[in-house]
Amino acid sequence: MAGRIITLTSGKGGVGKTTVTANLGVALARCAQRVVCVDADIGLRNLDVVMGLENRIVYDLVDVVEGRARLRQALIKDKRLPELHLLPAAQTREKSAVTEKQMIKLCEDLRKDFDFVLIDSPAGIEHGFKNAVAPADEIVIVVTPEVSAVRDADRVIGLVDANEKTPPRLIINRLRPAMVRRGEMLDTADVLEVLAIELLGIVPEDETIIIATNKGQPVALESNTVAGAAFMRIARRILGENVPFHNFDDSGGLLDRLTNLLRKR
Amino acid sequence: MSVVSFKGTREGLVITLGEGEWHDVLNHLAAQLSRPGAQSFFQGARVFLETGSRALDATQIEELIALLGQYQMTLTAISDVASQAEYNRVRATMPAPPESLPAEESQTAPVGTSESYALLVQRTIRSGQLCQYAGTIVVIGDVNPGAQVVAEGDVIVWGKLRGVVHAGAAGNENAIVGALVLAPTQLRIGHLIARAPEGKRTRSFPEVARVREGRIVVEPWIES
Repeated sequence: MAGRIITLTSGKGGVGKTTVTANLGVALARCAQRVVCVDADIGLRNLDVVMGLENRIVYDLVDVVEGRARLRQALIKDKRLPELHLLPAAQTREKSAVTEKQMIKLCEDLRKDFDFVLIDSPAGIEHGFKNAVAPADEIVIVVTPEVSAVRDADRVIGLVDANEKTPPRLIINRLRPAMVRRGEMLDTADVLEVLAIELLGIVPEDETIIIATNKGQPVALESNTVAGAAFMRIARRILGENVPFHNFDDSGGLLDRLTNLLRKR
Repeated sequence: MSVVSFKGTREGLVITLGEGEWHDVLNHLAAQLSRPGAQSFFQGARVFLETGSRALDATQIEELIALLGQYQMTLTAISDVASQAEYNRVRATMPAPPESLPAEESQTAPVGTSESYALLVQRTIRSGQLCQYAGTIVVIGDVNPGAQVVAEGDVIVWGKLRGVVHAGAAGNENAIVGALVLAPTQLRIGHLIARAPEGKRTRSFPEVARVREGRIVVEPWIES
């Protein structure tokens, strides 16, 4: 059976597309799925660093498209999970090095060998974004609870709608439950009210992600972190399981809970 | 069902595009238009395009305008919001914009007129999308922040209106803006501009904005 092609995009930069792609790849691989993560951010590649596979790159996506390497030569097998693979972007080229048609052909080839093809889209809504979205069966929008990120996500949803794709789903990244409780951050309901698409998952802000990202060790490798567990839940939802949404409110410190109690009165 | 169908209305000609490859549809349309006897019927018609589920890109719209132009037909509006936005972009780059509804018609139109023609938009208009029409616009859905709705007539939103809205864009100050939740970033009627008050408390009952004594006022939307 042919695999599913899922593109992760956001419009705005810095919301965590790459981190989410890497962790989702890891989480799906841990569910015994054969996964390939494709870095479509040509010229500004990051996914290899976040996955800790930078030093293994010999050929890249552009080499494959231009016929200098076969697909199999460019694919990098993850050092921890045998089901997980990476197709890195070229760093020395620009987004215009690849066309939408070439991306579609490439992903059609990949889906024959994998259960999931996860495409990490570059920020913006220009050529690179279009390349990343063109081959997708499904789109996942990554957003942080900020007005600017929500605005850009809304723009992207509008563009995807016009392409006759299936309705995108949403991951809210970097939610800070304590700030939401104090009314200082948009909460899930605020975001969903504007975007009005299906929620796929919520990833709370977690310091371990920053440490893990810098080390090239995605948090989803272990379920004992808050964020790692959140990615595992998202992966199971992608696989069609009905996983209830976690209530992050319980994770607040004693002081937060006390202020909250006082506030309620 | 045929690939392309035609329907005459008082306002103009409605052309409905069916499913199929774009070039087949375009060729079919060209064949229909060039039929003997058809020319006198179509000549000079104002066209409203019904695209179905199809979203047109700039090139497709240009091809369409060129084809219609051969028969002195003008494209007035497109049913699909995204296509309409593309059309506006294409139109903006064209030397002579096709005529829209005569300006005086909308200027003399009474408030909330049921006589004028309306564009019905049954979807949410998102950030970056522009919905423009030479008449009244009715949106069933939300108008999100960053979106724009520009109508020469009234604007009615059955949902939350939070983007930029311009009613009576050709100068008609009798136009109104009504919404279930009226919280636009900016509200314009004719030549007047109003901003939302800084406090972001939104009221949860329907409201309507209209011009009274040279100012835009907002009041509860009750049957008058």
